[in-house]
Amino acid sequence: MSTQTATADLTLQYVKTIGIVNNGYNGRGFANPYDVAVSRDGRIFVLNRCDPARAAAIRVGICTLDEAYVGEFGKGFGTGDGQFAWPVAMAFDSQDRLYITDEYHHRISMFDTTGTFLGKWGVPGSNPGALNGPAGIAINAEDHVYVVDQHNHRIQKFTAAGEYLLHWGEAGTRDGQLMLPWGICVDTQGYVYVADWRNDRIQKFTPDGRFVARFGETGQGEGQFNRPSGVAVDPDGYIYVADWGNERVQVLGPDGSFQLLLRGQATLSKWAEEYFASNPEEWEMRLVANLTPDLPPHLHTPYHISSQTEPYFWGPVSVTLDHAQRLYVPETNRHRVQIYQKR
Amino acid sequence: MQQHDMALMAHLLRRAGFGATRDELEAAVAQGYEAVVEQLLYPGDAQSMPEDLIRRYHVDQSELRQLDAAGTNWLYRMITTTCPLEEKIALFWHSLFATGYAKLNQARALLNQIDMFRRFGLGRFDALLVELSQDPAMLLWLDNNNNHKGAINENYGRELLELFAMGIGNYTEQDIKECSRAFTGWTLANAEYMAVRASKDSIWPYGRIAWHFQYRDYDHDDGHKTFLGETGPFNGEDIIRIIVRQEATARFISTRLFQFFAADEIDAEGEEAIQAMMRTYFDADYEIRAVLRTLFHSPYFQSAHARYARVKCPAELLVGAIRLAGSYRMPTLGAHKLADQTFYMGQGLLQPPSVEGWHEGAEWIDSGSLVERINFMARELSNVQNPGVRAIITRLAATAGGPLTPTQLVDQCLDLLGPLDVDPPTRAALIDFAARDGDLHLATHQPGDTAEQRVGNMLRMIVSTREFQLA
Repeated sequence: MSTQTATADLTLQYVKTIGIVNNGYNGRGFANPYDVAVSRDGRIFVLNRCDPARAAAIRVGICTLDEAYVGEFGKGFGTGDGQFAWPVAMAFDSQDRLYITDEYHHRISMFDTTGTFLGKWGVPGSNPGALNGPAGIAINAEDHVYVVDQHNHRIQKFTAAGEYLLHWGEAGTRDGQLMLPWGICVDTQGYVYVADWRNDRIQKFTPDGRFVARFGETGQGEGQFNRPSGVAVDPDGYIYVADWGNERVQVLGPDGSFQLLLRGQATLSKWAEEYFASNPEEWEMRLVANLTPDLPPHLHTPYHISSQTEPYFWGPVSVTLDHAQRLYVPETNRHRVQIYQKR
Repeated sequence: MQQHDMALMAHLLRRAGFGATRDELEAAVAQGYEAVVEQLLYPGDAQSMPEDLIRRYHVDQSELRQLDAAGTNWLYRMITTTCPLEEKIALFWHSLFATGYAKLNQARALLNQIDMFRRFGLGRFDALLVELSQDPAMLLWLDNNNNHKGAINENYGRELLELFAMGIGNYTEQDIKECSRAFTGWTLANAEYMAVRASKDSIWPYGRIAWHFQYRDYDHDDGHKTFLGETGPFNGEDIIRIIVRQEATARFISTRLFQFFAADEIDAEGEEAIQAMMRTYFDADYEIRAVLRTLFHSPYFQSAHARYARVKCPAELLVGAIRLAGSYRMPTLGAHKLADQTFYMGQGLLQPPSVEGWHEGAEWIDSGSLVERINFMARELSNVQNPGVRAIITRLAATAGGPLTPTQLVDQCLDLLGPLDVDPPTRAALIDFAARDGDLHLATHQPGDTAEQRVGNMLRMIVSTREFQLA
């Protein structure tokens, strides 16, 4: 498989995969990763949503691009300070404070990069400023915080301290309306992009919420989406979409035109190689296995194909760009992060 | 609306589904028995809880690595489906073709098998058996991945004849060997790697890799075989064609369907129904749908004789209680514990005790499982915040026209939970319980107030009765 996906103007080079499934309560590896954030010093923070059996260990794992697992923090499941039930997304502000949403507790918690709990805000409800299922989160250059208020089908804007500024959106399918939105990002000019999850599209808004454009429609074709869950925009205006239901990532041009798509091409992470080094009998059988098989017709959905094709994305839930224009794609069901470099 | 019609329809919906709320029951009675039977037999859009919503909120059910996640995923379908027979027939086949997690360590493969039961479970029995013989979970469960040309493994061949299609005494040991030879080469892709992973319960490095069927021609014994008196270079499909033509197969499958859908015990009148089902089996080219139609229209099934003649299996009990209570209609934190609940009651979905499945009928009930059954139902049906319980309270309030006497409260609650007939001493005990607080005034009831709690307490008592354990 080629490690490069390109158009005339855009090239994405596959870099590597980081991760291995962690079915314990701490340590190296990931447990249903849901989002990635990269700190100013380049460390990779991975939000482990964790299945119910491991909810006591909901945590953020920290690693480097060289696959050193350098730490983790989290206090697991619960309602206390620093605890979570259903964490969804993360974002850093200009001071490297990490904001994490919890769609069950209807709140945002803040930490520093050592994992020290700094505070929390958010009350449940539907009044302006109240939250019902906060999902995606994005922070602009002024440290204003945009929160996807999914069950209220709207976007809310807050100060860094959680003071309400404004909101827009309502349930519906027309321009500017939203249906269970999920991911969100801000571009270098301050425009806001929302993964309008159940409307199968991306919407673009001004910083104060005026509708600008919508991209995509329901489907499996190029430029079409099935429940997009994450969105990121690079400095050149290219729009990266976690096309979650189609188990792929699509890249659109600044005008929303389809550019290219990634199906995933994971290789063995350093941690995975170490696992096989100590389990040679499994490695031996793996060498003669076909991990990209042809499947019978009843399994020809993206979901089933991904469940049986190990290198492909399976549950690509979000997309994150770092300052070096690297793209990080965490996969909930494969417990790893695939990394691509824009060239 | 005739009470007889209501009782008969409630009986049908308990057997072909998981019971019904009063609104559902009234709609079904208005539709008519025959029309409802046909609707049940031809499932359309099940309108179950959407998979995208389940996957978004339940990462465990998106990945389906864990057993409880897979069990709950199936329970979500049972709880929310509008095509209950599709799930009920899957439950029937799961009980008969019992395949378990313990040896496989692959929950997704088991759920894929359940989905196969949905797609083929009401169709022709021969088509179902071909699918079963190619099912990855079954292949590994009964070792057909180790059934090789020149070195047969008889496990699948034996159980196909004994437990799945014909019953012991209807074939010889030689038939088992010949049957097994015919299924050589039927295995799963990457069989060796998958077998190593299953044996080690390996989820590394990146979680499970789901399985699918593969036919290896080079490993298939294409020599002549003599099976049940017929000779030829049989492959697996040929063996199945011979199996389904047997009288013993018709009896076996009709009897098992009768015991699951009609009555635990078979009496003379039940035997007549089975005979009719066997005739349909052949007349309709082995179609299970047609056999069930014959059963649902049989005098036996519609008689009072068949009412409450089965002990509800734990999945039926739990799903029925939740559907009545109206809970778990959307993804719910903690839902993974539902699968644990059926396990505590004696029926861990996707984890039968052996290839023989569960011991059913009265054996569902022992002192431990009974406590679990009653506690769960009491919790669901006494919670006056649950939408289904609120609907019952609203009906009681609307029909009362004044205070309800203890007798009226008991009789109306029995009616709305069934209609359910209880024996006279039980009814008297329920009335005594209700009479402790006198007449019930629901005219000005408010959510969760004392009046509503009294209804919740009455429902709690009724679901604890012997009769409510029966279908």
